Amino acid sequence: MAPEAHLSHLHRADGSATYTHNGYSVIGAVNGPIEVQRRDEMPEEATLEIHVRPAAGIGSPKERHLETLLHNTLRSIILTRSIPRTLVQITLQVRSLPEGGTVTDVNTSLALLPHLLQTALLTLLSASIPLSTTLTSVLVAIPASKSSKPIAPLLAPTADDLLRARPIRSTHVFAFSGNRKLLLNESHGVFTYEEWDEACEMAEEVCCKDKGGVGLNEGVEVDGSQVNLDEWLRSVVKRKVEVEQRWRIAP
Amino acid sequence: MATSSTVLLPGDSISPSALPKPQNRKKHLTLGPGLRHMPPNTIASTIAGLLVTDSKKNAAWVEYNSGRYLPAAGDLVIATVNTSGGENFNCLITPNTPYASLPHLAFEGATRKTRPQLSSNSLVYCRVINPGKDSFPELTCVDPSTGKSEGLGPLKGGMVFKISLGMARRLLAGKKGGVTLLEGLSEKLGFEVAIGRNGVLWVDGGSVKATLAVGRAVQEVDEQALGEKGQKKLVEKVLRGL
Amino acid sequence: MPREAEISVNEREFIRQALQENIRLDGRAFDAFRPLELSFGEEYGVVDVQLGKTRVIARISVDVTTPLPERKFDGIFQIITEFSPMASPAFEVGRPTDAEVILSRILEKAIRRSNALDTESLCIIAGIKCFALRADVHIVDHDGGLIDASCIAVMAALQHFRRPDVLVEGEKATVLSVREREPIPLSILHQPLCVTFSYYEDGEIFLVDANLAEEQVRQGEVIVTMNRHGEVCQVAKYGGATVDPLAILNYINVALGKVKDMSAFIQKRLNEDAKKRDVGGLMAELSAENAR
Repeated sequence: MAPEAHLSHLHRADGSATYTHNGYSVIGAVNGPIEVQRRDEMPEEATLEIHVRPAAGIGSPKERHLETLLHNTLRSIILTRSIPRTLVQITLQVRSLPEGGTVTDVNTSLALLPHLLQTALLTLLSASIPLSTTLTSVLVAIPASKSSKPIAPLLAPTADDLLRARPIRSTHVFAFSGNRKLLLNESHGVFTYEEWDEACEMAEEVCCKDKGGVGLNEGVEVDGSQVNLDEWLRSVVKRKVEVEQRWRIAP
Repeated sequence: MATSSTVLLPGDSISPSALPKPQNRKKHLTLGPGLRHMPPNTIASTIAGLLVTDSKKNAAWVEYNSGRYLPAAGDLVIATVNTSGGENFNCLITPNTPYASLPHLAFEGATRKTRPQLSSNSLVYCRVINPGKDSFPELTCVDPSTGKSEGLGPLKGGMVFKISLGMARRLLAGKKGGVTLLEGLSEKLGFEVAIGRNGVLWVDGGSVKATLAVGRAVQEVDEQALGEKGQKKLVEKVLRGL
Repeated sequence: MPREAEISVNEREFIRQALQENIRLDGRAFDAFRPLELSFGEEYGVVDVQLGKTRVIARISVDVTTPLPERKFDGIFQIITEFSPMASPAFEVGRPTDAEVILSRILEKAIRRSNALDTESLCIIAGIKCFALRADVHIVDHDGGLIDASCIAVMAALQHFRRPDVLVEGEKATVLSVREREPIPLSILHQPLCVTFSYYEDGEIFLVDANLAEEQVRQGEVIVTMNRHGEVCQVAKYGGATVDPLAILNYINVALGKVKDMSAFIQKRLNEDAKKRDVGGLMAELSAENAR
């Protein structure tokens, strides 16, 4: 299933997006650039504030950890020096999680991370915050092999995929910039360097490799043809521009 | 001005062939919002939008219509007075941003003895003279060369309506913006408007009904992206309603 | 500390002037709600409510814990409302605004203390095990009317939610997963809903479901909570200006009509959703159990 995105659908926030993929749905909003509190003000850079809010309950250390990861990754793509002494405030509200997602042995915050990253990027695009590049992110899971033969890693697996492939030995989250540089990697579990390398290459392929790559298992499709996440992002932005420019062609 | 069909994502570099062809070699290339120059000779976008070039002015920029208003020198904005300091008013251009300063003397005919009295939360139509990237934004209500207000100053009465930043640009762009609604309405209806680049439209139509009708009609053109025909129909509908 | 931007004097004056001429900015009648939209998530107990530009998401979740020692036969039910900067930069995490405190207090009175939910039915083994139900209210978009929208969201979510079934054998209780046994709906005793009245001109003019701009101009508010049977659960008045006691009776009359409409609307949406989920007749079985 291709991810679904809605941009700029909230009225109050400066930028907003809802990103739905594999049973996960996250609503994101950006306020900014706005006034920063004196104690957080930086003379030459913008301050970034990220709130991750779980679907149920209030934030726990798990969310704080995700916030730190997001903060470091997004900080590297936001042109913070072009909007000094301001605050960019990103709120990510998890709306729904896949059913039965908690019964698998995959670290739940790791499985959520790519969805948060994708949502955050879409909201930043919607808010027109200056960025040096875009990013795409994906989860790779490596199931434990029962025989000596290694099993192919699962790319952007759904909750059902993970359930069927149990036990999972390791999970990896990768994020790539628009110019195909690795921005973030978080891995969990037991794995060899070769396995990690394979997972990384697979992730790169779905995120940003040129056409001719494998594409997602289920296929991210735009207008019927398989594309990688980078091209998917481009199609989302194209739709945004079409909506903004439709007055030019309106009768 | 040429609107290309090049949709840009942040980080996309602009190929030299897409840049405007200068008619006048002496004129330097000007980069507008959403573009940045990375030495030695890469030009890349920083926001998502449409690449627009103007070969007459030898300029290129990214057109977009989402996000918060960022002050730029020369822009007309409708600001809200928050407090009055010793020498200037502290104004808000958009909510939750640092105060912009509007000197007491930056009004037509204002002197130390006859400075304008503006209560908190009143509206002023003013021009940005300094976007305040390195300090706070500065505003003025006079043309510095003539000392005249040129239509700027406190806005009394009327009502403000929120419009998109793109709509505000179009309304100020005259014919190029493709908004014929106000002209159409003005044939039968007398009203005053002020357009702020910060996405604020001020309307005073003399009566509640007329003000609301004009304000809401502009919002409708904005939200539904009405073309020329659509706007004509809307004008008729509004005038019939009054 | 960031604060909500105040409304300009021009807007304030204009809105008041318009109200005197019987006009609301969006053309609504004084006693009309904004268009209400309700949708359910894929999971049970997730409701997305849109009231004009205001948008609230409520989610019910359940856990098994030990009941409170002083209430051995009751389950636990909590409503959590925490504002996030998503709805407005003026909302800070961990620093509740007045609006947030009032919202949680009203929901507490309207839903929890009016016993809308039969907490006894959440008890598994008296004094040892019970269900702890929590309703999370997320404000996603804020254009006024948060109390009314949140109340609709929580009540609709409670009616939509299904809790897992339990198997009790003596002192041993087993929670059956969704795959093993079809989950069961909550036992809801009545459906309270809130209607907020904003008043102007010393109570001479009142508005139903004011938007943010209208809220900023009002002198005070009266929140009436009642169910469709006409039983008033709570009445709260905020803001200093005085209101005629008879006006409150009038408010209650108006509120009853609104509550009836909204209850019918929620029921309609619940039925539509049930129909959509009804694959293989499982729901038919459940509703038979419900009717019992």
